Amino acid sequence: MNTKSTREAAMLAITEAARRDDKIVIISPDAVAAARATRFREEFPDRVIEVGIAEQDAVDIAAGLATTGMKPIVVSYAGFLTMRACEMIRTFIAYPGLNVKLIGLNGGMLGGEREGVTHQFYEDVGILRSMPGVKILTPADAQQAYEAAKAMMALEGPAYLRLGSGREPEVFPEGTPYAFGKIREVKRYGDDVAIFASGFIMNRAIEALEQLHAEGVDGTLIDVSTVKPLDSQGVAEVLRRTDCAVAVEDHNIYGGMSSAICEAACHYHPCKVRRLGLMDIYPRSGKAAALLDAYGLAVRDIVDAAKDAMAKE
Amino acid sequence: MTVDELSRIANRLRLDVVETVHAAGDGHPGPCMSIADIMSVLFFDEMKLDPQNPRWNERDRFVLSKGHACPILYAALARKGYFPLEELKGLRSLDSFLQGHPDMNKIPGVDTVSGSLGNGVAIGLGMAQGCKMQGIENYVYVIVGDGEEEEGIIWEAAMAAAKMKAGNLIVFADLNNHQSGGKVTELSSLYPVQDKWEAFHWHVQSIDGHDVAAIKEAIAQAKKLTDRPSLIACKTLKGKNIPYMEDNNAWHKRVPTEEEVELAREALKDKM
Repeated sequence: MNTKSTREAAMLAITEAARRDDKIVIISPDAVAAARATRFREEFPDRVIEVGIAEQDAVDIAAGLATTGMKPIVVSYAGFLTMRACEMIRTFIAYPGLNVKLIGLNGGMLGGEREGVTHQFYEDVGILRSMPGVKILTPADAQQAYEAAKAMMALEGPAYLRLGSGREPEVFPEGTPYAFGKIREVKRYGDDVAIFASGFIMNRAIEALEQLHAEGVDGTLIDVSTVKPLDSQGVAEVLRRTDCAVAVEDHNIYGGMSSAICEAACHYHPCKVRRLGLMDIYPRSGKAAALLDAYGLAVRDIVDAAKDAMAKE
Repeated sequence: MTVDELSRIANRLRLDVVETVHAAGDGHPGPCMSIADIMSVLFFDEMKLDPQNPRWNERDRFVLSKGHACPILYAALARKGYFPLEELKGLRSLDSFLQGHPDMNKIPGVDTVSGSLGNGVAIGLGMAQGCKMQGIENYVYVIVGDGEEEEGIIWEAAMAAAKMKAGNLIVFADLNNHQSGGKVTELSSLYPVQDKWEAFHWHVQSIDGHDVAAIKEAIAQAKKLTDRPSLIACKTLKGKNIPYMEDNNAWHKRVPTEEEVELAREALKDKM
């Protein structure tokens, strides 16, 4: 696969699916360029519905299309989609279980970085996770974005693919397996602590695992690329081994992947879980790396949180 | 069907609504009465439907954007044969499939969820486009209230429909000048509303929404256009033909007593 960004990678998978299935259509509230769908539009000019800057309209039109058997994909920025069109997603897509796919760009603080709070979205996963029936995929790099998009297109019913700025680092080697609905062990030095990570902060989680190892702590790094449905049994198995964990995500600490991990822990294996994300505050504009460092998502923060999780109270 | 037959069916549906809301002990009767004649023409004359095969993909589609008026939709579906009439009394009760607002999965003949106001035109537009893309030659009919045209998404959809040249989309605006909290003209600056749809490049006709012949003729005119969506602006009376409900917004949501049901039967008995 030869792609430059997560957005391009996901759109490549969508385009390949569209070649096999003429029911696939993209709905764009002025997001064709942002979603890197320009080439899709060149190949399928009649299968891109441009509605202008109108996310609510885009989602409702997608709902109407889906009732006729079409397979619409709404592409937009994560927050404009999940917040402005929140009710439309919930009432007209999730409730009737229509086969509409949603792709949210600029997921996380990292995704919006220099644009500032209006274009950084750290509530999207929490919002959608509270809606029955919506599956949530949070890939960690371009290769996984491709695999996740491909997997999403094979699913029936509503699903949300969280993408970022499109400039995220490659973290997984070519050929890394991907399975929708399953957590995956990225690397295991030992069972001192588990690190659950999802999305485009994976590179820092990998670094933190290595740093912990250098400091004498042998942990396990788990990729949570499907936040809903969460692989609760898989999470439970890991927690039974480590008996403590840290969960890292580029999302507000309420409602996202770390909340889901805690819910699974409560049910299957209560233990200490430290959570790292945006600590329920609004950040600022800034370069991606500087922002993450400034708001508690530095490699050192993950390392310290892991040690804190291991410490007995 | 003749104009007279369709008017009689409209009144039959009105009485069904009064009896249904009375039996169920809940529901919105007033908003049903203003659209009864439109419903009669659509379901008993105009729309290509198959009650034995509700999901037949070639069918015309119907969106009741003002979903709170669903008692009349359910009555029309029952009388078309989608389900037995006696089911109507289950409206809004836990053991019935007749949900408080339309549900496309639980109720045979319902094409979309509706009830959250303002969304019907956009959903109907999606249906119209989806049918067109699959080469289905049909029409999508939407009924919107006037109050819900205060919602911004109505105008997002109006803009998109004109751009998409949705000639297979026909929207009825039920202009009864009432909404939940009072008169539309007092709560908003919506009127004159026809001008607004025209400004959004829709084909607009203005008719008496209780004149069955005019409704039929307006649909025929709308169908002549293949590259423009149509709005049929219907001047209507909330509570029409139920004397104590006419133009009385107290009946937006209210349950008629046994005596009031009798009064409705009396008022309609020679008109059904």
